[in-house]
Amino acid sequence: MKFYVCIKMVPDVYAPFQIKDGELIMDADRMVLNAYDASAVEEALVLSEKHGGEVEVVCIGSAKASETIRKALAMGADKGSHIVTTGDEGFDSGSYANILTAFLKDKEYDVLSLGKQSQDTDSGLTGSMVAELLHLPYTTNAVGLEIENGNLIVKRQGDTGQEIIELPTPCAVTCSNDMNEPRIPNLKGIMASKRKPIDTIDLASLGISESDLSPNSKVVSFEHKPARKAGQKFEGEADEIAREVAQLLDTEANVI
Amino acid sequence: MSSILTYIAISEGKIKRSSLEVLSRSKAIADANGLACEAIIIDENASSFTDSVQNYGASKIHIVEDSIFSQHRNTPLLSALSKVMEASKPKVVAFASTEGTKDILGALAANQKAGVVADVSSFDLTSSGVIAKRPVMAAKVVGNVEVTGETILVSVRSGSYELVESPITAEVNTIEFSSSESDLKAKLREIISATGDTIDLNEAETIVAAGRGVKDEEAKSLITELARVLNAGIGASRALTEAGVYDPSLQIGQTGKVVSPQLYIAVGISGAIQHVAGMANSKVIVAINKDADAPIFEVADYGIVGDLYKVLPPFIEELKKLKS
Repeated sequence: MKFYVCIKMVPDVYAPFQIKDGELIMDADRMVLNAYDASAVEEALVLSEKHGGEVEVVCIGSAKASETIRKALAMGADKGSHIVTTGDEGFDSGSYANILTAFLKDKEYDVLSLGKQSQDTDSGLTGSMVAELLHLPYTTNAVGLEIENGNLIVKRQGDTGQEIIELPTPCAVTCSNDMNEPRIPNLKGIMASKRKPIDTIDLASLGISESDLSPNSKVVSFEHKPARKAGQKFEGEADEIAREVAQLLDTEANVI
Repeated sequence: MSSILTYIAISEGKIKRSSLEVLSRSKAIADANGLACEAIIIDENASSFTDSVQNYGASKIHIVEDSIFSQHRNTPLLSALSKVMEASKPKVVAFASTEGTKDILGALAANQKAGVVADVSSFDLTSSGVIAKRPVMAAKVVGNVEVTGETILVSVRSGSYELVESPITAEVNTIEFSSSESDLKAKLREIISATGDTIDLNEAETIVAAGRGVKDEEAKSLITELARVLNAGIGASRALTEAGVYDPSLQIGQTGKVVSPQLYIAVGISGAIQHVAGMANSKVIVAINKDADAPIFEVADYGIVGDLYKVLPPFIEELKKLKS
C-alpha cells in the first residue's frame, strides 16, 4: 500500500497570543505539525509496517514548513514533498485543495490521507474537497483504519454511531486524532530523517490558475471570545452547598 | 426570486432540531433581504417531514426520497444536493453542522464551485456575500470571515439560533432521484450504535458530562441517575472515552461534539481547553470538582467545590424534590 499523507504546519494553539486592532499576533513563533495530521501519519505508518508499503508526506507552506516535514520523516515516513509558498497568500481551504489536487493528479497511491481539520482553524473542508476534485471515493472523521483484501476499512464516527465503511483503492480518508497516539520520534528516527529526501516544488511549476488560488473566504478580523460572567463558587459542607445550588438552578437560573 | 436554501437533516427518523434552528435564521435573513426561504429534505421518508418544516417558514420544500438515504452515505447525498442546487440556484445554502454535513460540505463546495464557511456561530448576508463569526484557535478567539461567490455554503453550530415558528403553506417540489447501493464505490457495512436510546447530545436541553473524576461504577451510576432526573443527555471528556468508560460518540470537546444546551453539568471534569471549546456556549454551566483550582470553575456559573460522591446524592435528591 502506498500512502500519501497531506500534512500542515500550524501555530501551536496553546502558545500565548494577543489581539491588536483585529489582528491575531502570536507572541512566540511556535509552529507545530497539525495534531490531526500527526494521527494520519501515525496510522499510515502502522498500516504500512503491518502490511508492507510506503508513506510519503506532502506539505504546503513557507520555508519553515520543512521542519514539519522533517518531523513526519523522523516519525518514519519515507519521503517528503514541500510545495513552497510565502505563507502570506491568505489561502483558504479551497486554495489548499486546488494546490494539493494539482500536485496529486498524476501521482500513484492507494490511500490519500489527511487530518480531518487544522487545529488552528477547525474548518475541516480541505479533505473532502481534494477527494471530490480527484474523483476519489472517500470518508471523513476516521477513528480507525484497517486493510482487508486490498480495501481500506474505515471506522467513521458519524451522527448515530460508528460507521464501518469499505473503500476500494485509490481512496481518500480524513483522520480524527482519536484513532491513535502519534509516536514521538526517537533519536534514531531523527538521525534517519536527515538522510531522507524532501522534494521542493514551487507553486508556479504546478500550473495552477490564479483564480484557483485566490481565496473565496478571508478572515477580516479577530476578536476575543466574549468572556463568560464570573460565576459563584460554593465551598463548605457538601450536603448544604449541593442543595443550595440545586435550588438556585430552579429559582435563579430557571433551568430546572 | 433568488433564495436561501436550508438543508434539513434527518437522523434516525427525526428532524435534527439544529437544522430547524438554522431554518429559523434563514427565514429571518430571507425576510430582511427579499429572498425566498426554501428547504431541502433528503431522506427515505422525506415527504413525511414537510409539515414540520413549513411550520418554520419555508415557502418551498424540495424533497428527495430514496431508500438509499436510510443511512448517511456521502456519494448519493452529494449528488442529491448538487442536483437541487443546480436546479434552484440558491444564493446561500445553510446547514446544521452535523457529522453528516461535515462529511460532504467541502466536496459540495468543490463540486459546485461555491464559497464556503464551516461551523459558524452566526452569519448574515452582505452586498458581496456572507459574513460569519466562527471560533478558531481552540475556540479561544472568534474570527470574522467574509465569503464571496455566486453561491455560498454555510454550516452553523447547534444552539447558535433560537427556534422561531412562522407557519406557512409550502409548495412541495419532488425531485426524481434513484441510486442503488451496488453502484456506490464506498460500501457502508454497518453502523455500530453503542448509545442505544440515549439522548442526542446536539439536541439535549440538559447535559450531564463526566470527567476523569468519574472512575468507578458507583460514580457512573450517580451520573446516570442525575441524567435520568433531569432528562439529560450524558457526555464525557476525552479522558473517559479514551479509557473506554463511555462510548466515543459521547465525547464533548474540540474533537468531539460541540454542544450548547440550556444547562451543562460538568462532574469531575478539570476543564482542559479542548473540553471547554466544546461546551463554553452552554447557557448555564455547573461544575462539580474537588479541586478548587480546576480551570472548569473559570467558566462555571455555579461551581461546587467538593467530592462528587458526597455532592451528587444530595444534589440529585434536591433536584427530584424540585421536579416533583
